[in-house]
This record gives sequence, structure tokens and C-alpha cells, in this order.
Amino acid sequence: MIKGYFYLPNSSRVQQSYARLSGERIAIYVDDECVCESMQTALNVAAHLPGQASELNFADGARFVPHDVAYRWPFQQRKSGLLARLESNLVLILCALFATPVLLYALLFKLVPSIAVTAVKAMPDVVVEQMGQQSMVLIERTMLSPSELSAQEQQAVFTLWHDTVSQLGLSAERYRIDVYRSDHFGANAFALPHGQVVVTDELARRLADHPDALRAILLHEIGHVERMHSVRLASQAAVASIAIAMLLGDMDIVAEVVLGSGSALMDLQFSQNMEWEADNYALMQLERLGYSGEDFAQALESLVPLDEAQSQSWLKYLSTHPSLQERIEHARNHTTP
Amino acid sequence: MDSTSTPSAAEPGSQTAPSQLQFTGNAKEYFGIWIVNILLTLLTLGIYSAWATVRTRQYFYGHTVLDGHRFDYLATPIQILKGRLLAVGLFVIYSVVSGYFPLVGAMMAFALVFLVPWMINQGLKFSMRMTRYRNIRFAFKGNLGEAMVNFVVLPFVSIFTLYLLMPWVLKRIDAYIHSNIRYGDKPVQVQLEGKEYYVAALLVILLGILVMMLLGLAFSLVGGININPDELGTVNFGVFLIVPLYLFVISALQGIYQAQIRNHILNNAQIEDVAEFESNLAPQRYALILATNAAAIVLTAGLAFPWAKVRKVKALAGATQVMLLPGADQVLDNAQQADSSFAEEAANVFDVDISLT
Repeated sequence: MIKGYFYLPNSSRVQQSYARLSGERIAIYVDDECVCESMQTALNVAAHLPGQASELNFADGARFVPHDVAYRWPFQQRKSGLLARLESNLVLILCALFATPVLLYALLFKLVPSIAVTAVKAMPDVVVEQMGQQSMVLIERTMLSPSELSAQEQQAVFTLWHDTVSQLGLSAERYRIDVYRSDHFGANAFALPHGQVVVTDELARRLADHPDALRAILLHEIGHVERMHSVRLASQAAVASIAIAMLLGDMDIVAEVVLGSGSALMDLQFSQNMEWEADNYALMQLERLGYSGEDFAQALESLVPLDEAQSQSWLKYLSTHPSLQERIEHARNHTTP
Repeated sequence: MDSTSTPSAAEPGSQTAPSQLQFTGNAKEYFGIWIVNILLTLLTLGIYSAWATVRTRQYFYGHTVLDGHRFDYLATPIQILKGRLLAVGLFVIYSVVSGYFPLVGAMMAFALVFLVPWMINQGLKFSMRMTRYRNIRFAFKGNLGEAMVNFVVLPFVSIFTLYLLMPWVLKRIDAYIHSNIRYGDKPVQVQLEGKEYYVAALLVILLGILVMMLLGLAFSLVGGININPDELGTVNFGVFLIVPLYLFVISALQGIYQAQIRNHILNNAQIEDVAEFESNLAPQRYALILATNAAAIVLTAGLAFPWAKVRKVKALAGATQVMLLPGADQVLDNAQQADSSFAEEAANVFDVDISLT
């Protein structure tokens, strides 16, 4: 005789009752009167959860819940208790504790990048072109304004660019350059995946007397395009966010912050490596054109004073570029074998 | 473990004493569920997350006990999985598009704004219908027009009032959500006051400004832990300081606001002839609980999550009493038609949380 509550179908009425098992049948009694009877096979036994009574669901929607939270029916399906057994198995819990970080790492830092790389390889040129053009529209609207340099100053940049591109044997149609004023970027240059390079007024002015240095910086940007860095970053971000969306069942804000910062760190590492790749590309091409790493080192050095002005803000430590000092040394050490 | 069972419906006798809402789960049991959930989710590349969700909800609903009867969570993993796959599919399309075609992505994001009210409604319908107490399911009866006004139009308008309208908008939103809940065939009624929302918001904003000033002062006194960008490995100790601190402060402020609003809603809500609610959650205590929870989770690299969640739910349940009225035994369940859980998944993004605990 098992004491418990009997819940009537589709109603909030509850009755104190007891259940009796006899052979294949089960009967529920309220005040010695049988209110419900059923074959045990026609019942549904709810899933096991630790500390919760195992309830019986009758075909008509009535339910019986034992008072004893530890009670388990003798006739339940074997599998209904499997999860509960796993969840209270100490060995498995310990294994899970070790396996979880390993699996997370493998997923986020190994599987995601490899999927991203595959996606990049399969990327049609049309997509890359669209991606570049649309990004350009957005950036132009939000962060750039028309250049304030004289036609002569701008022409110097264009000439240098055309010479460099044709010397490297790259397509002049694909590789375009434009000069813009930008308060947002300061002295900077960036490249978009379809070959559009942007140089800011401030950088062009700063390097007006160092054409070799400007060339080195332009080569660095070409390196980004040639190595498909933006496409890789976009794929990486897309794949990572999908992976995280898949894994986040219902966690709360803290879990999201932790996972979010994890993926931010991953992006950071990723783009750091890309900067080195672009630097190496620039150094390699400079040699091909008969220049030295010294020009590149000089170009970077002319940016140092700016960099110091900005390092006041503590947010700067998450800067995406490797430190200038490191890059300058790297360039100086890059000598022709 | 034994819950207080009161005279049952078989012996009619209207109750006058309020019943304490209880949470009978514990961190040890939930830790096992949680870690196994994570492991299986990782091993199945996310598929198991639907089972994990159901298992977790069943644990928390089933351990929430009122008047000797527990709550039930009724959704099946397959329902959740279908919704989740659809939601992830949409998300994949969106991330791919916004990554490669930023302009199209921006347009998609704009279109999404108009889907939000529908998704919130669907999500509430689903989660209410999957909640049961004493063989009676809850339901949600909100309509799209009102949702559009409350979730899109009014928040947008409040931007032009320098957000001065925002607390009132939040009141409207809470009133919309709660007054559209049904317990079987009985509607919930709420009488909310905008004033309470303004007081809570003002308090949190002032405290927030105060804390920021204090932190700014502390940082300048410590005097530029001169963080040098040149020493950047991929990890920097600054992150280890800033992120937990940020979470700690945000959680505390969240706790203060949530506690006040929760008290206000529950103390002014009732289901006619069925139940009246009472909530006496002390804001400073709840703030401390949430803040220390966040700190514990960060310091233990997430391992304290189950303990923190159980602690929070226990505090919420402990501060809640329900006065069951004579009509509580005569509620009938009206037929419920099936609905998609896809919307619930999507709406989970917006985290419209109305559970008792």
C-alpha cells in the first residue's frame, strides 16, 4: 500500500489516496473506495529525478504521486532510471569534470577553426566581392569622410600604389586604393577582402617623406587581402557563434560572458597571427622588389609616437596588433639569407 | 525532505494561513545533472541540449512545492529540439549573411525587430502551457497588437524622451505579461504602479553612478597599474580583474531592481478566488546573493554554477507565500491546442522570465 495524492483529470481537485499493486494491475483507493484501476502496462511512469517521487500517469489524464519522494515503482521501464543513475555516479561526474574543458577547447580552438578554413576554401569569388563592397559602404558611411589632402599629396599615394601593384604582378583592376579623412581610424590603413585598400589622410601625411615606409605598409595590407584574412575572420566568427549557440541550452548571463570572452580571445589570437602573416608577406615582397626590412621597421617607428599617445587608455591592452616594438625587431631581423 | 501537506481537497475546509513556497532541491543533486548535461551536450555537438533543458526544468519545477504539491514541466525534448534546430538554422543564416553581406545583415536585423513581439508571445504561450500545478496547466493569452505596442513601439518612443519613459514602459510590459496569464480558466489580475518602477530605476542608476565613481577613484589611487600594451600575451591580468568586478556590480544592481519589482508584482497580483501572492524579498539581501553567486561562478571557472542557481532559487522561493482561496479546488483545465516550440527557443533569446522561482 503506497500513500500519495490522486489528481483528477483536467481539474485542480486532489485527493488523499493510496495505491495497491496486485499482479499486473494497479488500483487507487480513496477512503477504501476504488477510484481508478489500470493495467501496469497502460501506465506511463514519469522520468526519474533525484529527490522527486516517481509519478504514475493514467490514460485519462489522472495522476498518482506517492508521498515518499524516494519511492520507485517495481514495474518501471529500465531506461527511465538510466539518466538518474548517470547523474549520481561519482566516477562519471569526475570524468565529466576533466573531459568538459578538454572537449570545449577541442571544439572552440580546433574544430571551429578547421571548419572555418574549409568554408574559406569553398568561398566563391562573388561572395568575397560582395562582402568587401558592402563592408566598404558601411564603413564609408559611418567612419570616413572625404580626404582633405591636396590633389598632389593624394597623387603621390596613387602613384606609389600603382607602381607597387604592377611590380608585384597583381591585378590593377582588383587592387584599388582610396584616401579618406577619418577621425575614427587616426593614422591607419586597412584592406577589405575584395582588394580595396584605404589609407587615411593622417597616415599619408605622416609618411609623405618616407615613400619606402608607406610602400611597406601598403604591402602589409595587400598581404591581408592575398591571405584572405577578412574572409577567414568572418568565417571564424560565424562558425564560432553557431557553435556557441548550439551549446548554450539555457545558461544565464554569467555563462554567456565567460563563453563570450572565450570566443573574443580566440578571435584575438586569430587576428594576431594574421598580423604576423601580413608582416611576413610584406617583408617577403619587399625583398623581391629590392628593398629591405629596414624600410618596414622605419615605417613602424613613425607610428610609435601615436601609439604612445593612445596607450593612456587602459582599454588599449586588448589592441589587436602585436606590439610595435616586436614588429620593428621582427622586420629588422628579417634579412636576406 | 518531507513537505508540509495540508488538508487536502477531499476534506473541504478553506485555508486561511498562507502557504510557503518551498524549493526542496539541493546543489549536490543538481551538480550531477548539470555536469552530465554539459558532457553529453558537448559529445553530441549540441543535440543533447534539448534533453538537458527538459531535465533541468523538470528538476527545478518538480522541486518547487506549494501546499504539498509540486509544479510540473511538461515539454518533451523533441519539441525543444525542433525549435532549437530551427532557431539555430535561422541564426546560421543570419551570422553567415551578416558576416559576408553586412548590408543584407543589417536589413535582416531590422526585419527581426518586427518578429520579436510575435516570438515573445509564442515563447510565453509555450512555456506557460508546459507548466502545470495540480493537473491544471497555465496559459498565456496575449495578442500580437498589444505585444507590438509594448515591446517595440513604446521602447522606441521612450528613446526620444531620453529614456525618461522607460520605467513606465517596463511597467506596461510587466502588466501585459502577467495580466495575460491564465491558470486553467482563471485569469491572473495585476494592479501595477509606475511609481514603483521609477523608484527602483532611480535607485539602481544612482547606485550605479556611485559605484562607478568609487571604482574610478580606487583605480586612480592604485595609480595606473600602468598596463603596457607591449606586454600583451593573449591573456592579461587586467581582464581577470575587470570582468569579475563588472559582473559583481552588475549582478548586485540587477538584484536590487529585480527584488523590488518582483515584490511589487506579486504583492499586487491575484487569481480571483484561487490565490493571492505575497513576496518579501529584501533587495539588499538578494543583491548580495546574486553578486556573490557571480563572483563564485567566475572564481571557480563555472563550477559553482549549480550551487549558485540552487541558492538563488531557494532565496526566491523562501520569500514567497501564496494564500490559497476556497476556489483553488474548482479550477478546470480548458482544452489546449498544440503550438510550436520554435518560437519559445527564439524567444529565449529575450529571456522573458516569469516563473515563480
